[in-house]
Amino acid sequence: MTTKPTAGITLRHLASRPEAGSFVGMIAVYVFFALMGGANFIGAPGISSVLNMSSEVGIIALSVGLLMIAGQLDMSVGSVVPASSLTVSLLAVDFGVPDILAILGGLAVGLAIGFVNGVLVSRTRIPSLIITIGTMFGVMGLTLGLTILIHGSTGVFLVPGDAAKAVFGQLIRNMFQVSILWWAVFVAVIYGLLHVSPLGNWIFALGGDKESARNAGIPTGKLTIGLYMLSGFSAAFVGVSQVMTFNAAQVAAGQTFIFNSIMCVVIGGVLLTGGAGSVLGIVLGTLTFCIVNQGIFFSGLDPNYGSIIIGALLLIAVMTNDKFRAMALALSAGRRS
Amino acid sequence: MNVSILTRRPEIGSILSLIAVIVFYVVFGGVNLGKLAGAASWVNLAANLGIVALPVGLLMIAGEIDISIGAMIPAGSMTVAILSGHFGLPIGVGIAGALALGLLVGLVNGLIATRTTVPTLIITLGTLMAVQGIILSSAMLLAGNASVSLTPPDWAKTVFGMLIAGKYQVIICWWAGFAAVFYWVLHVSPLGNWIYAMGGDQTSARNAGIPTARLKIALFMLSSTAAAFVGICGAIQFNSAQVSGGMGYIFNTIVSVVVGGVLLTGGFGSVLGILVGTVTFAIVSQGIYFTQIERNWSNLIIGVTLLLAVGMNESFRNFAMRSVRKKPRVRKEIAAGR
Amino acid sequence: MKLSLKALATATGLSLLSGAAMAQEIVVIAGSVEDAFMDKIKKGVDDATTMVTANGGTVQFLRTQNYENFGPDLVTLINQAVAQGAKGIAIPVWVPDAQIPALKAARDAGVVIMQYNSGLPVMKDIGAINYFGSDEYAAGVGGGKYLAEHGAKHIVCHIQVPGAINLTERCKGVTDGAKEAGATVTVLETPPNLDGDVTGTAEAFKAALIGDPSIDALVSCADFGAAAAVNAVEQTGAKLQIGAFDFSPASLDRIKAGTQTMAIDQQPYLQGFLATSMLFAHLKFGTNISTNPVLTGPAIIDAANVDAVVAGAALGAR
Repeated sequence: MTTKPTAGITLRHLASRPEAGSFVGMIAVYVFFALMGGANFIGAPGISSVLNMSSEVGIIALSVGLLMIAGQLDMSVGSVVPASSLTVSLLAVDFGVPDILAILGGLAVGLAIGFVNGVLVSRTRIPSLIITIGTMFGVMGLTLGLTILIHGSTGVFLVPGDAAKAVFGQLIRNMFQVSILWWAVFVAVIYGLLHVSPLGNWIFALGGDKESARNAGIPTGKLTIGLYMLSGFSAAFVGVSQVMTFNAAQVAAGQTFIFNSIMCVVIGGVLLTGGAGSVLGIVLGTLTFCIVNQGIFFSGLDPNYGSIIIGALLLIAVMTNDKFRAMALALSAGRRS
Repeated sequence: MNVSILTRRPEIGSILSLIAVIVFYVVFGGVNLGKLAGAASWVNLAANLGIVALPVGLLMIAGEIDISIGAMIPAGSMTVAILSGHFGLPIGVGIAGALALGLLVGLVNGLIATRTTVPTLIITLGTLMAVQGIILSSAMLLAGNASVSLTPPDWAKTVFGMLIAGKYQVIICWWAGFAAVFYWVLHVSPLGNWIYAMGGDQTSARNAGIPTARLKIALFMLSSTAAAFVGICGAIQFNSAQVSGGMGYIFNTIVSVVVGGVLLTGGFGSVLGILVGTVTFAIVSQGIYFTQIERNWSNLIIGVTLLLAVGMNESFRNFAMRSVRKKPRVRKEIAAGR
Repeated sequence: MKLSLKALATATGLSLLSGAAMAQEIVVIAGSVEDAFMDKIKKGVDDATTMVTANGGTVQFLRTQNYENFGPDLVTLINQAVAQGAKGIAIPVWVPDAQIPALKAARDAGVVIMQYNSGLPVMKDIGAINYFGSDEYAAGVGGGKYLAEHGAKHIVCHIQVPGAINLTERCKGVTDGAKEAGATVTVLETPPNLDGDVTGTAEAFKAALIGDPSIDALVSCADFGAAAAVNAVEQTGAKLQIGAFDFSPASLDRIKAGTQTMAIDQQPYLQGFLATSMLFAHLKFGTNISTNPVLTGPAIIDAANVDAVVAGAALGAR
């Protein structure tokens, strides 16, 4: 008698959590690809494949997710990744700046672009989708124009020093990129930010209702600017770690991150309407997305089926989002009666 | 007085942006206006983009967005190429099949949009991925190749893929036709008021007896079918369909529509504005080839134009609101429009 | 007053017109501004322009913004060149179905067509006076042969944009070239949402390498594919010959370091330089090259000749 209500509460509790759907989704696709992909996918190769890809898109998805919880979008991340990696390479190669300063330069570019986005979003009533599409085009143009002006071609090769390579670009146990550890750091920091620190409540409040958030004394302007700087920084960080891992920076890279990161966030149960979501959900969503993307290569299926699965998952994720809430409510009502 | 009426029109900002862009190219790029006006490049681009931008603009006036058009354009050309090229069915069947696929995807978008509270950006991102995957894998499965060729009969070539005077794509005429129909829908027929009302406030629109769900589904079907249509014309003109391509349309249509003065949050915009916004985008991106400016900067100019245009639209709107507030008689109408 | 203005306008119009006729204006059309490969073509075109201007001509260099809407974009540029009164157009044929009608129309309007880089099989259809370039299929054959002759038995050919015709041709060439030398080829296509994503592509390669240990060579149609393959080798420890079509400064460095085996080059500098200068010489001096077509590739870059290529790359020509 005593255990039953507890189980009920746990189930209800689970179902009502925003990440419940994404957890179920992740297990489902993992089991599917484990069956298809066999030992390789279950073992270190498969795990490292999923984690390596997750760590890059995941770092961006975390801060993009935070913005979406606060009711905003950031399309410019796709152009910040190459902008940052090219800044690092141009500083190090064409200007002979030491690695550490070049890396700081790359990160500063991300912060600066985020600052511009944040100011424009908080000072005007123009939707953030439009503003960040504008800065996306702007940064793309600047990156291309300046790279050709300075370097004369659109690809830059860089040999990072041992220290920089070890911190940002080394492989651990042959298969695991060091960026996985950085992803863990980002997860911990952003978890603290959203779920422990008082800032988290502010972010949820901002996404729930901006007017009342402002009336409640939350510095919405500064908070918005801060969140955009965070997403700019995250994208720039990925740019830095790419250039350190692959020793090269290219103008055309990065576009895939725009929609890939949004998909991770949404599969993770974050509502674009703002006010709901969790860091755990975003992490689960990222893993799910990357399991499908990489599992397909272990399974021997036509890689194009991957797009169909991701599209379907996305639609299921968003539709069950409502349903899970409704189910949780019904469940609790049933227990009462 | 006159000024306030002028600034209240949604397209005024886009007209000024267009002028600004042309002046910029003339002053800093040394562009030859005669050559620019006579060049088919930007008109062709504008027509292809414009046919998609019009229904997407209507959706945005109604407060929604559709990015699945990025997959529907190659899907449209692929469907017609597979049906009529690979399987050798009459071209009419291929065209009908491609349009039917457009209607179906739009129906799916619309149904999910009306049955859930999920933002349409996310819904259509899902269908974007799904359609892309389905088209790629079915091309491989059915035709054994991701690129399929097509030999359309002369009549189809004339109607959908002819080059007028050797350089103007016949799709320009279709664009004009679409524009006329959309103008009638939005600004003449009672449907227009419904669309504005929906974008302004969905709940009160529904309470006022407007069939919001059916209207929304219809708008989504319109946008994905229009995208399929652009794909069909491309396949017929170039005698082949490739599965890659189309993603560029996503951002380009949004930029065109927003530069044209449509409010992304809904309730505000005009067909004329969307047309001018499309032309502005086409001139910004193609006009640079007529200037002495390095081509590498064209994305920068697009970004700056977008931000300046929306900034301008925003301040005009504020100005219009202020001037309206002095005249209580029209306030209600405008308030409903927002 | 009115009359004299009109006369003035006519006079200027006429002088402009005759100026254009004298100028032997030629237009060179190339691919995306974001494509580093095109920069080497540009270097060739730029160097040829020096010769053209010294002889009183002008060169206009047009590139598409990206490859999203490639066929229509190219047609747009062709039509634009004709509209601007070009006397000659130098252009690759990447999308034959789209470009042939436009180029035929241009030729009928009296424009001389010089073809370079791509589309050798359709040279007769557009009536080009000559062709400077490689051939995707021939380049593939060269690459497949090289890898097989250097000991490869099972080669993976990577396509980063499924459905792109030129990439399909490359892998077809690799397959046939490898077969001649006794190796088999598997084609691996990665979906569009991994295009340009080095990490995602590296992981896809890793899956392929682990799934089939018999794979001992990988050739990618994209330069970033070689970077991804090197990463996959670091992860799996597989013994793998790595090759790529075209190359960047980064791939030269990998060839020097021995992590990448080879790159298949088609010497784009020569293509841009020869197409531009020979088109102009034909228009201005009436010259013709008796070798037709002129092949600039495939030229294999490996450890043996990489230093010379590096020197050329520093000058922007390789």
